[in-house]
Amino acid sequence: MTTTTRPSNLVVALISGLLFGAGLYISQMVDPLKVLRFLDFGAIPTGGWDPSLAFVIVAAIAVMFVAVRLGDTRATPLFEDHFHHPARKQIDAPLVVGSVLFGIGWGMSGICPGPALSLIAFWPSDLWLFILFLLVGSALGRLIMRRPVKGRAVAA
Amino acid sequence: MNSFNPLPATLGGLLIGLASAVLWLGNGRIAGISGIFGHLLPPGRDWTWRVLFVLALVGGTALTALLVPGLGVGGPGGAPAVLVSAPQGSGVPGWLWISLAGLLTGVGTQLANGCTSGHGVCGIARLSMRSFVSVGIFFAVAILTVTLTGVVS
Repeated sequence: MTTTTRPSNLVVALISGLLFGAGLYISQMVDPLKVLRFLDFGAIPTGGWDPSLAFVIVAAIAVMFVAVRLGDTRATPLFEDHFHHPARKQIDAPLVVGSVLFGIGWGMSGICPGPALSLIAFWPSDLWLFILFLLVGSALGRLIMRRPVKGRAVAA
Repeated sequence: MNSFNPLPATLGGLLIGLASAVLWLGNGRIAGISGIFGHLLPPGRDWTWRVLFVLALVGGTALTALLVPGLGVGGPGGAPAVLVSAPQGSGVPGWLWISLAGLLTGVGTQLANGCTSGHGVCGIARLSMRSFVSVGIFFAVAILTVTLTGVVS
């Protein structure tokens, strides 16, 4: 499903990326420790829990929820022939296994892919290692997903 | 101890939602960072907008840190950004802990076809059943991981 990229698509990507980066800094989700302080449910009884992440994700979902409904009223996006809905619909083993592995990695570091890239702006020590292995892991994951499953090729 | 302030958290969340809305309504694309990042790997198709998005994301972070300094971590007036080290007493070197976390995040997000943004924000907003399952699992596992390893000391 290759579509030609128009200049307007690049402008949209630029604006979206800028907003995304701004949001990660303003919300302080760029700080791995702040993310971990949300995930640390063991700290709830002692009052050390930081509920920030919940506010961030609920606010983001609320805006996107309206945008998706708005998109549903249109046949096409503003600068593209069609909406790129994800092809997979089934709950399968890769979804479950992948979510478990990602959950472990996220819990170990407090860094998910967005903040990993956002942190490049501040370049903390050892970030290059995280990004290098994010790249290696991603390549490995994509290789696994490209293997034919039950005689049927799975589209990327 | 980090102080919790719902205002910047909510405002930042609204901006992330707006970023996702712009990419969906403008280009019909999911603002999923692991997907955008993963598609930069060969055989990368339509990579120009993805490279531009990633560069803008880094630039947007740096620019906002200059415009709104001292909010927390990063930029002038902010605390230096630091990655966590391995749990105390585990004997695991910090570089190994961070590398392993990166590797698991990479493999996991490509198998699950999404992360906190693609499944967590866009997928939930689209009421995708796959995203509800994925988000439920990775949040639960991440909470368990933090609680069991005691990585926050």
